[in-house]
Amino acid sequence: MARELIIAKTVAEAVAAKTGSATFVAGGTEVNRLGSPNDADVLISLKRCSGLSDISTDSGYVTIGSMCTFQQLVESAETPEYLREAALFMASRTKRNMATIGGNIASLRSDSYLIPTLMAVGAVLEMAGKDGSSNRIGIAEYVDGNEVGSLIVSVTIPSEAKVVSKRYANTAQSHAVLTMSASLSEEGIWLDGAVKNVGLLHFCDLEKAFRDDPDISEEKIIEMVRSCTGLHTADDMFGSDEYKRYLIAVTAYDLHKRLTGKEA
Amino acid sequence: MSKQYKVVHCTINGKEIEQVVDVRSSLADMLRNDLRLTSVKKGCEVGECGACTVIINGEGFNSCIYLAVWAEGKEIWTLEGLTGPGGELSDIQQAFIDEGAIQCGFCSPGFILTSWEIVNAGVEYTDDQLRKLLSGHLCRCTGYENIFRAVKKTMLRHLGKFEEAELVDSQGITEYPEPMPFK
Repeated sequence: MARELIIAKTVAEAVAAKTGSATFVAGGTEVNRLGSPNDADVLISLKRCSGLSDISTDSGYVTIGSMCTFQQLVESAETPEYLREAALFMASRTKRNMATIGGNIASLRSDSYLIPTLMAVGAVLEMAGKDGSSNRIGIAEYVDGNEVGSLIVSVTIPSEAKVVSKRYANTAQSHAVLTMSASLSEEGIWLDGAVKNVGLLHFCDLEKAFRDDPDISEEKIIEMVRSCTGLHTADDMFGSDEYKRYLIAVTAYDLHKRLTGKEA
Repeated sequence: MSKQYKVVHCTINGKEIEQVVDVRSSLADMLRNDLRLTSVKKGCEVGECGACTVIINGEGFNSCIYLAVWAEGKEIWTLEGLTGPGGELSDIQQAFIDEGAIQCGFCSPGFILTSWEIVNAGVEYTDDQLRKLLSGHLCRCTGYENIFRAVKKTMLRHLGKFEEAELVDSQGITEYPEPMPFK
């Protein structure tokens, strides 16, 4: 349990304070909650860090400060519609007033609200280095474990993109068993998802199937996911292994249809 | 002072306070344990039930996951601050009573504070918008309809629409005595 709280006023201060036993706290919805896996000795609060809450647009891209709250994303005219939709997956406005985009990414939760959408559009993260440097990495790279623990300064995404998303949970407040996003680019469809207790996934096999045969049947997709050995779903309180695989398959099929305008 | 403690200065229910807090304390802990403002309820402690809602600088927050030290310089309102000097209830509190929007009462302070923010916004929200604005709160007793009706009626009264408020039926939907103008 934390014994010390450092309130950083600048990014440089925050990064300098980050030692092995310290962790950043953004909005607090993850780190401060009951049952949080966080066991850091020192918390570095970013609430008063300047320059991390701006949203700006430049040459077809939107750059969002990591301390922007979900409610800011919902209210800002500069937020792309697809990201606003993902932010609204968090039903509670009081929680949206606290939770931040940077915090949601850094938590790397398997029921993440925003990561599937950000992965589907190939978001780029600006990270602050300890020596005052900054570097940019793709969100997929971050999800793979690179730079985890470093401070996310901003997130850059396209202003416009063809993206559709779907989230399944028992209630608006429950953890989602599946959140999936699909985007369409010149290369074809991109499919990313968050599967509860499994992780953040990029569905390359499904993408390939849709690219190879845009008219592939739903039955084939269901069978493909059902027999996929690389997908490590298991029975738990969120549903059976079979149920999760079925959900992934029909959702991927549905999102593909919506993106390509072939929905029934 | 040990690094584990900090002094927080803020305004709570219109009164300036200075409080030494453990840096690990939530705002809900400070309000309940140090200041005895027990209308602030701790329900889920993960920010999902809304029972701990307080108004900070005009907006609702879950105080159970909001660090007390973050309250520095902030203006905070709890349910205790809504009553008049003689203990008179505010209109939104009275509406909850009139509409039977309270059963066990555990969720009520949070609901009332969010409702207070809604009715003071000066906006006539649609039924759908009202439901979404209230969606950060869980109630296990009332079935929500009575709460919804209390909020809708008070919102309409705040907008000077007293007659329309009286026409909000048991489903929370406004019933018009005459055919709708566009018919």
